[in-house]
Amino acid sequence: MDLSRRSFLKATGLGSLGLALSNLGFDIPKAKAEIMKEFKLTGAKEFTTTCHFCACGCGQIGYVKEGKLIQLEGAADCPVNRGGLCSKGLGYSHIPNSAERVKTPLYRAPGSDHWEEISWEEAIDKAARAIKKARDENWIDTETINGEQVKVQRTDAIGLIGGSQVNNEECYQLVKMTRALGMMSIDNQTRVCHANTPPAMSAAFGRGAMTNPWYDLKNTKLAWIEGSNLAECHPMGLKNLMNAKKNGLKIMHVDVRYTRTSKIADYFIQIRPGTDIAFLGAIINYVIQNKKYDERYIRLHTNGFCLIRPDFGFDDGIFTGYNEKTRKYNMESWGYQLDANGKPMRSENIDDPNTVMSKLKQHYSRYTFEKVSEITGASVEEIKMAAELYCSVKPAVFMYALGMTQHTIGVENIRCFTVLQLLRGNIGIPGGGIDAMRGQPNVQASTDYGIMFQYFPGYLPFPTEKTNTLAKWTHANGTFRAKFLINLLKAWFGDAATKENDYCFGLLPIRNTSQNDSIYVQFEKAIEGKMKCIYFAGQNPMVSNPNLGMVHRGLCHLDTVIYQDLFVNETAAFWQRPDNPEGSDEFLKPADIKTEVIFLPACSYLEREGTMTNSMRMIQWRMAGPDKVGDSKPDYEICDMLWRRIRELYANSTDPKDQPIKLLTWNYPKEHMVEHIMREVNGYDLSTGHLLNGIGEIKDDGTTNSGMWIYAGIMRDGGVHMAKRRGQEDNGDMGIYPNYGWVWPDNIHLLYNRASCDENGNPFDPDKKIVWWNAATNMWEGYDRPDVGSLNAAPSTPAGQKPFRMNGEGLGRIFAAAYSDVENGETRDHSSTPVDGPIPEFYEPVESPTKNALHDNPNAQFSPCVIYPRMPDLQKIGTKEDFPYVLCSSSLAEHWCGGTITRNVPWLNELVKEPFIEIPKKLADKLGIKSGDKVKVRSVRAEIEEKAMVTDRIKPLMINGEEVFVTWQPYNWGFTGLSKGASGNYITIDALDPNAQSQEFKACLIDIRKA
Amino acid sequence: MAKEMAMLHDVARCSACRACMVACKQWHNLPADFSTPFEGQYQSHADLTSKTYNLIKMNERTDKDGKFHWDFIKIQCMHCQDPACMKGCPEGAISRLDSGAVVIDEEKCVGCGYCTTNCPFNVPRVDPDRNKSTKCDLCFDRIENGMIPSCAKTCTAQAIDFGTIEEMTALANKRIEEVKKDFPNANLYGIGPATEGVGGTHMMYVLPEKPSVYGLPENPKTPASIDLWKDVVRPIGKIAGVGAAAGIAGLFVLSKMMGKKNH
Ligand code: SF4
Ligand code: SF4
Ligand code: SF4
Repeated sequence: MDLSRRSFLKATGLGSLGLALSNLGFDIPKAKAEIMKEFKLTGAKEFTTTCHFCACGCGQIGYVKEGKLIQLEGAADCPVNRGGLCSKGLGYSHIPNSAERVKTPLYRAPGSDHWEEISWEEAIDKAARAIKKARDENWIDTETINGEQVKVQRTDAIGLIGGSQVNNEECYQLVKMTRALGMMSIDNQTRVCHANTPPAMSAAFGRGAMTNPWYDLKNTKLAWIEGSNLAECHPMGLKNLMNAKKNGLKIMHVDVRYTRTSKIADYFIQIRPGTDIAFLGAIINYVIQNKKYDERYIRLHTNGFCLIRPDFGFDDGIFTGYNEKTRKYNMESWGYQLDANGKPMRSENIDDPNTVMSKLKQHYSRYTFEKVSEITGASVEEIKMAAELYCSVKPAVFMYALGMTQHTIGVENIRCFTVLQLLRGNIGIPGGGIDAMRGQPNVQASTDYGIMFQYFPGYLPFPTEKTNTLAKWTHANGTFRAKFLINLLKAWFGDAATKENDYCFGLLPIRNTSQNDSIYVQFEKAIEGKMKCIYFAGQNPMVSNPNLGMVHRGLCHLDTVIYQDLFVNETAAFWQRPDNPEGSDEFLKPADIKTEVIFLPACSYLEREGTMTNSMRMIQWRMAGPDKVGDSKPDYEICDMLWRRIRELYANSTDPKDQPIKLLTWNYPKEHMVEHIMREVNGYDLSTGHLLNGIGEIKDDGTTNSGMWIYAGIMRDGGVHMAKRRGQEDNGDMGIYPNYGWVWPDNIHLLYNRASCDENGNPFDPDKKIVWWNAATNMWEGYDRPDVGSLNAAPSTPAGQKPFRMNGEGLGRIFAAAYSDVENGETRDHSSTPVDGPIPEFYEPVESPTKNALHDNPNAQFSPCVIYPRMPDLQKIGTKEDFPYVLCSSSLAEHWCGGTITRNVPWLNELVKEPFIEIPKKLADKLGIKSGDKVKVRSVRAEIEEKAMVTDRIKPLMINGEEVFVTWQPYNWGFTGLSKGASGNYITIDALDPNAQSQEFKACLIDIRKA
Repeated sequence: MAKEMAMLHDVARCSACRACMVACKQWHNLPADFSTPFEGQYQSHADLTSKTYNLIKMNERTDKDGKFHWDFIKIQCMHCQDPACMKGCPEGAISRLDSGAVVIDEEKCVGCGYCTTNCPFNVPRVDPDRNKSTKCDLCFDRIENGMIPSCAKTCTAQAIDFGTIEEMTALANKRIEEVKKDFPNANLYGIGPATEGVGGTHMMYVLPEKPSVYGLPENPKTPASIDLWKDVVRPIGKIAGVGAAAGIAGLFVLSKMMGKKNH
């Protein structure tokens, strides 16, 4: 496209948005002719895409000349970023032109010390054969679980790691092929980052996702940022937030150190890593004691007035139902008092001793400002100020990221936000909500698509020994969800899936619930010799996992590593590792390492098409821009080649175990492959071929299919792909932009928006209305799609009074009671309850510098449900006697995750050149360390060397009467790429949250000395 | 009729994300520059360089009340209304465009470095490899083509704005009212008495504290004598033009002679 100014403005939408200088008409200042050289963009071809780092999901516009990318900027018409991009988003422009890109498939033979180039044919054949070998030799047909013989038809010897770096269509391919192979150990970046978010949010609201869209931030009055470095790690969250400044926005930042986010905040409070529940518990206590809650909202929209069973209790850190041996709870006593129909009973009196509100009041009365000050290190005045501030304004939003999730109490951390926001009536309303800011470009989708051992696409629980028939699965998970499972099975097994054979349910592998199949355990199983082959699709655990010594050891035990990425990074090159920070006595030379490595060079996102889902569940289309580098291929093409080859290898098999492979539908045409895949995800009427327009059109009788129900409606008849839309309309000026991209489910942007209305369907705040009941038309209407089961469900009917309709009760769950909603004797829907408690309780991190000040019970020093170590020889717990300082680890603005991309961008490397550790000045003085000095940082797991950054931004804290020093490090380095440096993750701990198995990355104990 | 433009950096809003630094390098095809080693500081470069036209300075500061601050400021060419660099350039290589952008014509520049020495803000840098003076050009080519400067477009904190001088002045004054609630010394830099000595600048700042806190000169001046001075040096400049080092050395002596404060 020739780039006249006019066409440029049109293409970018700049003209209509006042972002360019077009408002000046013909008065654009003219340069003196002799200075003006040829304009950089003249003659360039434009394309639009979305950024590949954090899950803000910024729209981008790229410019290509002669197949080369020459410029990459923010798209001005994308409501997420309005033309902005952070350093990383801009820096990616280097990647299509990088000399370091891998241009052809590579092979490293067992014991070899070098790579050799191989053809694609050879690479795919080797990968397919390695998978087949691992599968056939390690097939588990039946298994004894809890004394019972169960047919499980699966393999635990093959793993898949990755998904959040590839497009939606590729996520779907990955999950479909791995499950058809009978694989259980499938996992993606969410485990390392936000896996704790869905269980926490869905326990309260019924869905696991960030509640409000980015652009809704303009409506808020208080942004409470805790456990997030917003300015660095979700920069467009900050840009959107700045739109609220004109409303008198206040920003509170609660974190373990003063960051670039603290700088732009109005208030900053430093707390000790891992003490958020104590801090927020004090706020909950304040809200209740001072009756600062919204009683009307609680009565209408939450379970606050519901009655909990009288046998529920809590004593010395332990809820009722605890089994000390298994470290598990029996949740029965955490249920409601039920009426004759099995529905929760309510009291009209909030102070009835068994109401949720009374239980809450009693539980948090222990969280006094004084007690919490001793635990967190924040002063009583600071905690009081924070509590008062929170109760002084509405709406308020909580914004968080990995600072909340990466703990052994991560789920309960986030639950504190849900409790507070329900108490204050801040859910479902503009400017309110809980913004769970996802960290990876497509981690929302890799979670949606179920690249996690416990799920199927669309958060349908994966069949286990307890749910190993369709009837049992339906009984446990409800008829509501069974419909969607049937549609998935129809999509996967086509005509072979019939009502008579339970839609091929019997072909599915069965998960053993006593097993944890997460990414951490994949490496542990490798060390035990049970895992043979891991397929990595764009994830670098040799940098991003905690306790890296374990990861290296695990990789060295594998027969085969299949690695798909742009660059040879630490995971692909683990056999070339130059150092040994954990002091291993094995696998020191390449010759000692017998793992074969097959490297499949993928193209970058700029070079291929597809869709991505950002943190606010918005799916956007990516066009292909520059030429592919060398012989690299799109991930969707690689997956397609791999599956077709595997299928060929099994073509002549009559073994029943191979039936799922042979029956799996997989014939995506080469042309427009990703659109054909998305058509299957969306679903269609099997007799007419008409695409489904939404979840409501999904049928339970086998006449429709839908690969993933929550995305139904993303494609429409007539070749309409909703993700390609770039409409700028925003009726009501509420920050919804319903015609830009497409949001799951059903294009609902602000989840639970029904809760913004009263019992009659009238908005609580008429000035900030978002949806409402129109009595004249008998319809729910709104600027956003109303979040109701049916638009005709009148507020006077039970269906019209379910603001949290994905919960069994239809209510917001302040107390995550154990509950299944029953209809006609069958489970209709099941509410989820965190395994470690129905309401949050504070526990110390596994490695802690102090004793738990709330309980004496030794089982309750750290979470009573955490099982650590899992492999006692390789997982030790450091104590404060040997490791007196607390270490928190995270990312920073300029580098990202495993660093595979960012450490190959010179413009980012010049900004942050090497890893370092931030040390409070007083501690540095004590240790004789100056800024820039090399220091040795040691935990019980390993020792690394990096430079010191001595700072006033972390203050020493008084904790339970003793001075405690907190330090911090970025973790993004390793031994490959243009910027090399020590991997901080050698020293971090791999203790896991008992709900979703995220690691306690944010708190461990270390010692420091001058190198 | 053309309009004069201005850029506004709101120091109170800036988060030092440094997207603007990468944006500047991308648009101008500038390479990474590792001239400042990492010695435990966040700031990436000690100062502007011939490969780094735009720099975010980062400074930890504790004020007299013991309150901690982390100061960030974006530094680049100030695009003076009365540019000393232009006035002192013996080759007439520097001009001020109608937009207000002060730009160097590389074809005319001989790399003598007089602009470096004359600039009251210490901005231009002679690229030793190409022997050309370099600095921020306000992305005049983008402005000409209806786009806003690269750094302003990408800013992640709405800390950089770009528009007509009138718009930016109005916006800055509004912001200063807000900032004053917490920082009573908040001031506008670029228009008004502080920068009168250079005729005002097309780069403006909202500053919570007085300019020197951020390393900005309190009273930058373009000497009235500079035209005359240029005529004196011009012949030397011609000779020095064969080598930047000689040129700078020559100028150094000369400026000393003339009693000009050297940077
Ligand atoms: S800041 Fe320096 S280089 Fe820029 S216009 Fe002013 S005098 Fe010239
Ligand atoms: S205006 Fe252009 S040249 Fe100047 S700092 Fe910004 S991006 Fe760089
Ligand atoms: S892009 Fe904006 S917020 Fe980021 S460093 Fe530059 S001026 Fe500051």
